[in-house]
Amino acid sequence: MFGTVRALTNVSFTVPSGQIVGLLGPNGAGKSTMMKSILGLVRPDIGDVRVFGQEVLVDPVSVKRLVGYVPESPSLYEFLTGAEYLDFVADMYGLPRAARAERVQQFLTGLELAGHENSLISTYSQGMKQKVALIAALMHHPRLVILDEPLNGLDPRSARVTKELLRNLADRDGVGILFSTHVLEIAQAICDRVIILNHGEIVASGTVASLRERAGLAGSGLEEVFLSLTGTGDLSDVVAALSH
Amino acid sequence: MNFHRVRRLAEILVASQLRSGRTDSDPKSLLGRGIIVAIADVGLFLAAFTIVDLVLGSIGLTTAGLTLVVYTFAPIIPLVATAAVLIAGVMFELTNSTKFAGSDAANWLPITPSEYVLGSALAIAYSYSPGIALLLGGLLPVAIAAGLGGMYALVAALTAVSLVEGAVLIEMVRAVAQRTGSSSTGRHARLTVVVRAALLVVLILIFDLAFNPVIVLGFVNGFHSVEWVTALVPFLWSTRALIAWAAGFPAIAVAFAAGQFVFVGLLVYLAAELRRRYWVPNPTEIGELAPVGMRGHPYLTALGLSEPEAAIASKDLLGFVRRRELLPNLVIPIVLLVLLIIEGAAFAGLNSLLWVGWVVGFFALLLSVTSVGQERRSLQTLYAYPITSRSVLRAKTTAVLVPVLFAGIGMPVAVSIVFHYPWTLGAEFVLASSVGGVLLALWGLVFASRFSDFQDRPRAQFIRPGAMLAALGTGMVVLFSFLVPASAAMQSPYSAGLALGLGAAAVAIVAGALAIYLARAGFDRLFRQLPF
Repeated sequence: MFGTVRALTNVSFTVPSGQIVGLLGPNGAGKSTMMKSILGLVRPDIGDVRVFGQEVLVDPVSVKRLVGYVPESPSLYEFLTGAEYLDFVADMYGLPRAARAERVQQFLTGLELAGHENSLISTYSQGMKQKVALIAALMHHPRLVILDEPLNGLDPRSARVTKELLRNLADRDGVGILFSTHVLEIAQAICDRVIILNHGEIVASGTVASLRERAGLAGSGLEEVFLSLTGTGDLSDVVAALSH
Repeated sequence: MNFHRVRRLAEILVASQLRSGRTDSDPKSLLGRGIIVAIADVGLFLAAFTIVDLVLGSIGLTTAGLTLVVYTFAPIIPLVATAAVLIAGVMFELTNSTKFAGSDAANWLPITPSEYVLGSALAIAYSYSPGIALLLGGLLPVAIAAGLGGMYALVAALTAVSLVEGAVLIEMVRAVAQRTGSSSTGRHARLTVVVRAALLVVLILIFDLAFNPVIVLGFVNGFHSVEWVTALVPFLWSTRALIAWAAGFPAIAVAFAAGQFVFVGLLVYLAAELRRRYWVPNPTEIGELAPVGMRGHPYLTALGLSEPEAAIASKDLLGFVRRRELLPNLVIPIVLLVLLIIEGAAFAGLNSLLWVGWVVGFFALLLSVTSVGQERRSLQTLYAYPITSRSVLRAKTTAVLVPVLFAGIGMPVAVSIVFHYPWTLGAEFVLASSVGGVLLALWGLVFASRFSDFQDRPRAQFIRPGAMLAALGTGMVVLFSFLVPASAAMQSPYSAGLALGLGAAAVAIVAGALAIYLARAGFDRLFRQLPF
């Protein structure tokens, strides 16, 4: 509850190891709140969240050690350089000093940030900051990754690298990934399962194919399915009104 | 120049300042509109007028006495106006994070440099006008009673010009500072950070000394002996005009006043040229720093901190020197130490420990009470990492104590050397001021853990205003409960001194233990759930 607003109601789902679960929903549906509550940043009034069997509110530190998180609007320490920030994050997760430089360098090169790591983050573009946040979430080999619209601001190459990296992490390392996005093509392309939230409730959950079936839109794209399941399918009146 | 655009820009900048300092965001609220400054001006003017008028009625000064009061204080008011805007400007305008630099929102609009400079300067002058309204309101009944209405009108006009003068100077410094911040790259960048920090220290020191009433009064009194020199300094022309008026030379007064107006016009022109020359679309901080490797924090871990704790403390220490909004905090002990040494005669014996202890304590309180709020929205970063609230508390405590202990040791040593205190007394000074600093650092964290303000805004205070006052009140009670017996112990014979010293130690232990308990509870509660 946020004041009198019920942010999430009767939400129950799992993110199995090795799967990418897409979290979809209109703005204000409760996606970010749900992600924050998985990390223990928001305390639910009722219910609990378990990560690898551990109750988040009982031992949040142990849970956070296993999780990588990219918030919707990453608030980085802008007075640090990219390298200093990632070093700081590595310290937080207790990454061995010998291994971290190589790991960071791989990410910097892969996401085309190499050469910028010694600039202050305040000089970075939005996309560069997003890349730093992504590296910070992935550098410590998390077993669960929670990404709140992680591809925001990324250039096409980096977006492709990130998508394929996530797929690899799930398939090869068995990492569970919870991934929110408004770009439905991306969800359709990489998610094993999709959860659709609306007004704080899960309105549908399953593979894209099963959702199509449920919406009675076999052969349609995820966009039509999403609009149908969230009750926002008929937009012609809105478009007509805005066109005047 | 389009004056409508200038006025609209000034209105928007004032509204931005007012709304950025408030926790609610109702744009219709009177407190968020520029008119509130005018209301404050009128209210303070009338209040000062009424109080001084009542006082005058009760003490019954002669006309000669009233005239002397006006002649003494009126010439200083324009100087005070310029100095006040300069100090506030240095503290609040130049130290804004570039994220909130006032020009960001206007850079892409079709506004000329002159329009921007004038609009921004008027906004700054208007925002800081209530203090001047208070002075002018207090002077008016005296001037009326002395029959010096003409001189009062001149004071009022020149004070308004002086406010704008100070604001334009701030605009000039800002134009150059933005360029400095964006043009430095590579290995020179680290030097630029140091130069900028030193520049800020010097600027604040100069402006604070200029604003010091003792120094200003001494300067004005010296006018008579160095008249020809002051005639060459345009910043003093308002004062010269008023002194000439008082001396019965209206033609000279008008000439100096006109010169002052022309000088401010010239400053606006120069500021516009600086902005035109150094304008950058998106002012940035330092471009690049010299490469930094993954090197750890050996000194902090040697103090017993874990790697994550050392990383947080190290990050905070870097923030003190790299964040423009935090840098002024570090300047405070230097400025106050210089003031102490300049006005040294008044601070001998007991007073000097109380003064040094107060400076160190205030410094500690300021750093610690803002140490949590300065995380702003980045606090969620700390929440996402596998660290406990106790770890954050240890890290924050260390980050505050490092500069506080530098001040707690450095200031007493400097004062002992300047005033030729014996080394034993100097050592006792170091001990007492350091303990005072530690105590207030702990108490600051008690308030910081409960009342921090995490909003991203231009003039972030990092703590709610009411809590800041409460922290200050509590801190001063704790500090002087310790410092007064400690100071008395140093000046008493052995047996009495021992008893007083033990009393001071008992106060420190009890107050310190209570602060640690409350700070731990506060951090535990803070880290249960993200507060925004």
